[in-house]
Amino acid sequence: MRASSRFKSVFLEQMLMGFQLSGFPCRTMSLPARMHAIKLSADVAMAVARGSRRWTHGLIAHLSKKEDKSFLKCILGKQYERLTMPCYSSWKIQRCKTILRRSFRERFGKQKPAQACTLARSLVKTRAQVLKRLVPGGKAMDGYSLLDETMDYVVCLQAQVDLMRHLLGAFEASKLRAQTKGTSSQGRKSIKDETDGNKKDLIELCMHLSDNA
Amino acid sequence: MEPRGSSGVGSGNSGTYTPEIAESLRFEEEIQSLIDPSFDASSAAGGSFTALLGLPANQAVELLHHPGPGEPPASAATDTLRLPFGCSSTFVERAARFSVFATDDSPASSSGGGLSPGLKAEPPDSDSPPTLPAPAGKPRRPSKRKECEKSKAKAVAKKSKSAEENTSAAKPAAEENTSGDKLPYVHVRARRGQATDSHSLAERARREKINARMKLLQELVPGCSKITGTALVLDEIINHVQSLQRQVEFLSMKLAAVNPRIDFSGLDHILSAECGPLAVASGCGGGASDPAMWASDTAASTGGIRRMPAPPQIWHLDVVHPQQSSTVWENNGVAHPHFLLSPATSLVGYDPASSVPLNSNRLKTEL
Repeated sequence: MRASSRFKSVFLEQMLMGFQLSGFPCRTMSLPARMHAIKLSADVAMAVARGSRRWTHGLIAHLSKKEDKSFLKCILGKQYERLTMPCYSSWKIQRCKTILRRSFRERFGKQKPAQACTLARSLVKTRAQVLKRLVPGGKAMDGYSLLDETMDYVVCLQAQVDLMRHLLGAFEASKLRAQTKGTSSQGRKSIKDETDGNKKDLIELCMHLSDNA
Repeated sequence: MEPRGSSGVGSGNSGTYTPEIAESLRFEEEIQSLIDPSFDASSAAGGSFTALLGLPANQAVELLHHPGPGEPPASAATDTLRLPFGCSSTFVERAARFSVFATDDSPASSSGGGLSPGLKAEPPDSDSPPTLPAPAGKPRRPSKRKECEKSKAKAVAKKSKSAEENTSAAKPAAEENTSGDKLPYVHVRARRGQATDSHSLAERARREKINARMKLLQELVPGCSKITGTALVLDEIINHVQSLQRQVEFLSMKLAAVNPRIDFSGLDHILSAECGPLAVASGCGGGASDPAMWASDTAASTGGIRRMPAPPQIWHLDVVHPQQSSTVWENNGVAHPHFLLSPATSLVGYDPASSVPLNSNRLKTEL
């Protein structure tokens, strides 16, 4: 199952916009800060490109809890308030469940799970909890929707990794070309060549996207 | 293979039967039904003695004496046994002689409860949806079949639920559950030895949904298809998600390291020019996501418009002036000459002053 090419193109577009907005090629920024900015813009781009799913809302909410709210505001514009509004209903459900669970546990005490089925169930339960921690917004999901969102999230993550890898390749190729051209010719011409090189790389990137899709 | 339509009305099932023969009869019939969609298994069911002998004794005797309507119903299977021909006494006697091959391979019928031949007729039912309603007199029992035949069994309404018009429609829903929409009723058939009350049914439907999702996830995650067992599959999924997240981090670090200076404006122009038609092509193929497609298209074009300077003027996001990026971005909008990227841009009312909200509006429709 692969993501659609439309998703990929929107994703790429958004990501580059995010790069631009973050004042990305800033040498004054340290490497971790740049990495953080890139990751942030990539995540936001993925969430925006995917549309309205539970994990996207969870992801944006999670991202907005950290710092860089201004950056997010820039990217999302008007939707920032709408998207970062916490979803009270789902949290209420989660809270009720934990309260109920605790009360049941106190009431009935511990029962010896001597059976294999209960053991298997507890194994699955622990893994489900781990998965809930991994998938953004997973804490408020029940089993079935958790699997659903995980599937979607995996597809989008794979597309994200794909895109970033190709982007990296394009940038590296352009940089290499610039370096070789820089040694050979100098002045304004080299800048123009670099631009053309970038364009060529991105054209190849888009071709690759269309081929894959 | 017994002659088609030869129906001997036999007596009710008497205890012993040879399961193999019964099995083979069933399978033959089902294979026939699979091959030939118009296979009228009611007649063949009539032909198989098992069907006859599935009837409880009194009903069989009744049919003996009153051969009934004689001709088969308009469509295929019904619940009661319809004799394709008028039964003659010779047939009856022969059937009675062969009563040792009694019934049901469908094990549900314990002593008294003869399974209706509707069961036998059911495999062909999946091919030719029955139009006859169940006769009132015959109680519909919770159908219990062997597991191997369950795949061929269609979803049949249980006695508490509605009639069998939904069978062919409900079967894909009950069995596949991959579509996202939910039907008001999920018609399932109880398996052998399983409870049939509504609670366990609902739970079983839920479990089957979850199992279907797990199968899809198994296909998605590489190397997961051979693993059996929910916990191990979940382990693999967790590992996969973690590895993907780590890859994203690593790639972002490499991206941060690689390029201190990139010409973004040129990139965006090329992107929108290339990916705009791409988006249009794939969007038209999709069809359902029209507003989203339009949104993405216009987003791409507006992005391109916003950032593309006049062709002779190539802008560099230079490292030395980080603040200039934002100001340049706005200057771009103001000093922007009018040009057309693609026919899609004509849809966009481009307003340089409100370029940002415009884009976000488009994004809003997408979301």
